[in-house]
Amino acid sequence: MKHIDILIIDDETKFADMLGRRLSLRGVTCHACYDGQSGLDWIRSNPGAATLILLDLKLPDIYGTQVLAYIKEIDPAVPVFIITGHGTREDETACLAMGASEFIHKPVNIDQLTTLLNHARGERK
Amino acid sequence: MKRQPLIIKNQRWLDFLFHRPNIHLASFQTISNYPRIWIISILILAVTSLSPLVMATFINNRLIHKSVDAELVLQTDRVTSNAKRSMRFFLEERLNALRFIVNELPYYTLIDNQHLAKILSNLKLGFGGFTDLSIIDADGSQIAYAGPFNLEGKNYKTQSWFTQGIEQDSFISEVFTGYRDIPHIIISVRSKTAYSRHFLLRATLDTQRLMDMLSSYKTNVHTDIFLLNHSGILQTPSTIFGKVFTTAPINIPAFSDTTQVITPETNKENASVIGYSYIDTEAVTTPFILMVHKKKSDVMGTWLNLGKTFNWIIGICCLVMMVIITLVSTFMVNQLYLADQAKAETMLKMEQSQQLACIGQLSAGIAHEINNPLALINETAGYLKDLYQYTGEHRSDKEITELLDDILEAVSRCGTITSQLLGFVRQFDVQISSVNVEKLINGILSFHKKETEYKGIHVTTMIAPNVPAIETDRGKLQQILLNLINNAFQAIEANGCLDIMVSHLPPKKISIEIKDTGCGIPEENLKRIHEPFFSTKKEKMGTGLGLSITYGLVKKLQGTIRVESSAGIGTIFTVTLPVKMQKEEKA
Repeated sequence: MKHIDILIIDDETKFADMLGRRLSLRGVTCHACYDGQSGLDWIRSNPGAATLILLDLKLPDIYGTQVLAYIKEIDPAVPVFIITGHGTREDETACLAMGASEFIHKPVNIDQLTTLLNHARGERK
Repeated sequence: MKRQPLIIKNQRWLDFLFHRPNIHLASFQTISNYPRIWIISILILAVTSLSPLVMATFINNRLIHKSVDAELVLQTDRVTSNAKRSMRFFLEERLNALRFIVNELPYYTLIDNQHLAKILSNLKLGFGGFTDLSIIDADGSQIAYAGPFNLEGKNYKTQSWFTQGIEQDSFISEVFTGYRDIPHIIISVRSKTAYSRHFLLRATLDTQRLMDMLSSYKTNVHTDIFLLNHSGILQTPSTIFGKVFTTAPINIPAFSDTTQVITPETNKENASVIGYSYIDTEAVTTPFILMVHKKKSDVMGTWLNLGKTFNWIIGICCLVMMVIITLVSTFMVNQLYLADQAKAETMLKMEQSQQLACIGQLSAGIAHEINNPLALINETAGYLKDLYQYTGEHRSDKEITELLDDILEAVSRCGTITSQLLGFVRQFDVQISSVNVEKLINGILSFHKKETEYKGIHVTTMIAPNVPAIETDRGKLQQILLNLINNAFQAIEANGCLDIMVSHLPPKKISIEIKDTGCGIPEENLKRIHEPFFSTKKEKMGTGLGLSITYGLVKKLQGTIRVESSAGIGTIFTVTLPVKMQKEEKA
């Protein structure tokens, strides 16, 4: 089981790739999934492998909050950051209540993200 | 949620007369010209309610006058006719008595003084009113005399009554004084002696008796009855025109066989009704005109006074009604105006909030759709920059790094706008907690400490001692105050003033007033300041979302926001909030 720092679940493939590449340049290992189902499959096949999960809300197959619920079922300890361009306040409240650690609006500030990651890493250890 | 009016006004009595037309409200008002409506309403009410009253009074007055006039004429006519009949009978009766005497008794018995005295005494007994009797021959010499005056042997040839009397069978003279120097009337009958010579039996009538008879027809003190001769000289005394033999200052009425009543056209004060009748006996015409004079104002005084009183009462009624009509109209029109005004304000607010909602929804939709491509641009540009920085290939090419920084900055700005847009439309959950307004304000002001010192701005905070801690959403109140205070700081030039006043509006509200001495907001912009993207700030200074978000937040906190501003003087934002915010029911 290979260990990675961040699992990105986002249907915007180009965004996910680009974010992944940028994080890689900063020494962060990433894996990107482009829909809810493949993301969940990856988590199931690699339990506890990701330090942090970045989850988009608007996914083509399953809505983000549902994915969040499944993730929390599989691994309640993994920090999940919601990252969205569509989030409403209701979504934010719902996600935070369901165990999401952060609710981040697009566009994302990369430095802010790495800081949060380091923080999460520290907690995870 | 209970909605509070955005624009609070002092509503006064007569507002509609003195209101300054508001172009924003005018398009929502049903009626534009209230003073006109007011005047029309007063006129219609006055005409419909007062005109029947005025007409009835007018007709009533006319009727009273007419009937009173008719009654007066009838009365005068009756009195005149009656008096005339008596007068005629009085004269005829005496003339016939004389006629009987000359026909019945031979001439020689008549010229016997003793016999004549006996006849006189019989006449006095039978008829009364005779003073003396005498026989006068055709030459005018008095042949026999019976009576109280010593007139024997007098010659009357030159007297006018004699010349007229000797030419007619019967004769009635005017009132005159003659030898005896006492006013009297002569009646005479002509006859012939056995030698076919004419002689006169003359009798003198007591005028007092005549006057008594006429006075008996005086029904009241306002009636004057007197005799005139054909030249207008009084034959009996008149209460109006004076003593016997004076000339009455009235026109001699035209001759008529019957009794006539005339109403001479004079001024109202002296208006009178005159009844007259030329007195003729069967045998002879007399020189008398019987006059009955009634002064209208005296006789009708009671009626006229009653009419005057009535008119006064009606006049006062009309005045009272006019006052009531005016007050009622004013009240109604004012209520109408206030209702219309309130309706217009509500509609204006509805339009504004609908506009805001529409713009907000549209903006939010755009923001949502833009965020994803924006995120891609951000990451792509960021990645490019990273490539330069981390791989070091073109590290020396500063121009490209700068250009990429420009893209990233532009994306960041776009991100700020979209997040504010979302913030504007987002339905926030409200978290109510107890908030100390003073601490909140001081916290916000501390952010601006440096700017205050740098610009030399004089900041005053006045918190009334009775302001309670309020139950509201701390975060939203903070954002509201932050926005308003930020705006104020941006508007204030060096050495300006910022006053923040918090006061308690008993029982359930507090008001926060933020007053700056900045550039102010021109009137044409005041209506638009709550619109999203409306900004007068220079480029890169603002997004134009601040006040529209503030407006939305204040409504969310069940409060109202009001702005007063004069260009060049400054702006006052007043936020009114409930002390205890009600929990919202979820829609």
